Amino acid sequence: MIKAIIDNLKGLYSLLVGLSITGRFFVSPQKTTHYPRQVDDPECLKSYRGPLELVPADDTGQSKCISCQMCVRACPGHCLTVTKGDKGKAPKVYLYDFTLCCLCAACVESCPTGAIRFSHKVYLVAPSREALHLDLLADLLARAPNPPQPKAEAEAEGEGNQVLAAPVTGEAPA
Amino acid sequence: MELTIANFVQIVIACLLIIALMVGNAVIMVYIERKAAGFIQRRPGPYEVGPRGTIQAICDSMKLLGKQLFIPGNVDWLLYFLAPVMAFLPVLLLFLPIPFGKYLVALKVDDGILLILAFAGLGVISNILAGWASNNKYGLLGAARAVAQSVAYEIPMIMALLAVVFMAGSLNLSEIVERQGTWPWQWNIVFQPLACFIYFVSLVGETNRAPFDLPEAESELTAGFHTEYSGMGFALFFLSEYANMLLVSFVCATFFLGGYKGPILDGFWWTFIKAYAVMCLIVWLRWTFPRVRFDQLLNINWKWLLPLSILNLWVTAIVLKFIE
Amino acid sequence: MSGLNFINPFGVREDPGTFTGDFYTENFSRKAKPGTVILNLGPQHPSTHGVLRIVVELDGEYVIRAEPVLGYLHRMHEKMGEVKTPWQFIPNMGRVDYLHPIAWNWAYVGAVERLGGIEVPERAEYLRVISCELNRIASHLMWWGAFVMDLGGVTPILYAFEEREKINDILQIVTGSRLTLSYFRFGGVSTDVDERFLRLTKEFVPYLRERLKMYKALVTDNIILRRRLEGVGPMGVDICQRYGATGPILRAAGVASDTRRDIPYGIYKKFDFDIPSGPTNDSFGRYLVRLAEVEESLTIVEQAIKELPAGAIRIDKAPKANYKLPAGETYFAVEGARGQVGCHLVSDGGTRPYRIKLRAPGFSNLSLFAEAAKGTLLADAIAILGSLDLVIPEVDR
Repeated sequence: MIKAIIDNLKGLYSLLVGLSITGRFFVSPQKTTHYPRQVDDPECLKSYRGPLELVPADDTGQSKCISCQMCVRACPGHCLTVTKGDKGKAPKVYLYDFTLCCLCAACVESCPTGAIRFSHKVYLVAPSREALHLDLLADLLARAPNPPQPKAEAEAEGEGNQVLAAPVTGEAPA
Repeated sequence: MELTIANFVQIVIACLLIIALMVGNAVIMVYIERKAAGFIQRRPGPYEVGPRGTIQAICDSMKLLGKQLFIPGNVDWLLYFLAPVMAFLPVLLLFLPIPFGKYLVALKVDDGILLILAFAGLGVISNILAGWASNNKYGLLGAARAVAQSVAYEIPMIMALLAVVFMAGSLNLSEIVERQGTWPWQWNIVFQPLACFIYFVSLVGETNRAPFDLPEAESELTAGFHTEYSGMGFALFFLSEYANMLLVSFVCATFFLGGYKGPILDGFWWTFIKAYAVMCLIVWLRWTFPRVRFDQLLNINWKWLLPLSILNLWVTAIVLKFIE
Repeated sequence: MSGLNFINPFGVREDPGTFTGDFYTENFSRKAKPGTVILNLGPQHPSTHGVLRIVVELDGEYVIRAEPVLGYLHRMHEKMGEVKTPWQFIPNMGRVDYLHPIAWNWAYVGAVERLGGIEVPERAEYLRVISCELNRIASHLMWWGAFVMDLGGVTPILYAFEEREKINDILQIVTGSRLTLSYFRFGGVSTDVDERFLRLTKEFVPYLRERLKMYKALVTDNIILRRRLEGVGPMGVDICQRYGATGPILRAAGVASDTRRDIPYGIYKKFDFDIPSGPTNDSFGRYLVRLAEVEESLTIVEQAIKELPAGAIRIDKAPKANYKLPAGETYFAVEGARGQVGCHLVSDGGTRPYRIKLRAPGFSNLSLFAEAAKGTLLADAIAILGSLDLVIPEVDR
């Protein structure tokens, strides 16, 4: 009986301790980042994995890709389509379906020339599923500082420095 | 008291004011509760709608008003719609004898506290009806819990208030306030600390607030007796929950905290300040503690609060006799 | 009673005496005994954490029987392992158990390495230990918050998330993601740590130790929580053995069994840490064991950071996407946050494994629930379920 009373008094004290802790947090500063108005530590974004992008070669600004198909074979989600160009090793088509990508870096690590990397496009939104079927060659062209005067198709696709590459239509092979 | 036309008009006006108070209180309390929860959890709480999220609660209530009245299959529709109304209406009556200020009383009755205690028991019926009528097993379990809990916690509540009534020698709430002084050490909480504690615990139990929120225990019964309610039905339950909280806080302020008397300038603002302080304490409890289990809830009541309150009553009676 | 006879809508009463076994395997239509109610907890219930469904028969608030119903989140990970190359299957491992993905990474990568005889550089071994232990802490923190939320305390989970966010920040530096981490590679790890990783980790260890004191004062010592957990759902050694329970549940039963100690893998032999085994085998014992494990993990992280050697993070000829597993069969087990995580790998020498069996600790641990919950109150059953620390995607795989 006495023990039960003492136990319960101790229990009541533990409740007061709990109240004091939450009370202390009540007056301490908040941890929330008010997202659109504040941005979290930008250091965190350095390792962020956005959709893939092609790495421009230092000298030419063209893609380093040699159409070896290693990335296509490594990809667990079958989200890459690379077609070899008519002349040389440069790819004619480099399609990337971001909806299927699991950002596992299998392609990036298996690329023998280091031609692809993850972008840091954090604020990526798309109005439709198709808009996430990206054409990485067009994206590379759009990012180039001095876009080389293009062929007709690239002109139609270039949309300046947009977050999203233009939607790809009708080119996806079966 | 005779029922004259003047009295009648006074009561009607008072009822309208009380309804306004209940609705306003719900809006304010929703805001306070969400902000307090946010600050305790180190986040801002409602923030985007209006300056510092002040009109968030109003927007939410607008949304609830605008929702379709949804009737689940196989419900007893009469009881299903009656229950929220039943939850709301008795609370209205309970505010009538509360002395907000010296002259600001809707209904000066000599046994005001009896009126409150008698009608406070009605609230649980709405919970039973809601749980029973909505044809939901969670609802039924919640209703069963509500009954046992409400019946149990009323008893120590009455016993605790009775000790104060012994001291004041009157059941009239205004009289009880008048017997207390203006300074905090002249309030009943100093003379009756145990009664105040018991009353406070049973107040939390009576209003189904965490850590005694068993009838709606979210992690066990999803939402308890109001699982099947949405839109206005849910809003009415919500409203009555906060109105009940306000009521018991007013009673607490009246009985233990000196009512409308304060160190400077007596008046109804003191009642409100004290009542809202009690409510903030209830909110604070909710966001700090886990929930007790049902058998523990009843054990706390029957094994601790009830004997303690009887003891307290007994000691009070003896001491009063000796003082005489 | 119109519309309220939900126990038995057609008024057919079966003879209660003929009822024998569990009603999931027999059939769903089996009626409750007279005077009892069959209640579906889940698949969408606040306390079943995902899509676990538990069919309970209640007498009042007492649980007469409880049957977990699985499979709402079955994603065929084992089958996917058979149609993907080992390289392609690594990302799947991050998705099996999203709270402790590094352990699953380790189980699969370790199995492949054991089968292929692949060595791992020492620095990579240290990085594996650091990331795995940090991830274990994150998992336990998440469990801690969710468990207290099951018991009705909503606030602690947000405090736990503060720490968890810090761990996510740290692990994101090397893995690039915050939830479904896939960090391990055959013969090493994917990326090397940088100065920021080490700095944040060194800051984190004393920070969490301070916070653990607050956890103790706010939750562990709280009388309501103790009364809710003490003596609830005892699981002794015998029941753990029968159902194959591992991890904190077995340790709370008093057996200091830990794969890191029993079947040492990686470089765990080098570290000095305790295996906490609880004095009580009830829910509170399991609670204490997990919190003690957080502290042990912090010790391991501290030691590993201090001794981190320089060197390569992956062997030179690390297997690539076209890696062919040698024919053979192996089993590799690691200690996950929930118990022994195992990967049984059978290869016929092709580019894809012939068969993969994943041993999910949550599955075995959940099996204890039906027995432990019998005869308890509904609220206790919820507490027992929470104390098992289930991750439903892992249970269903």
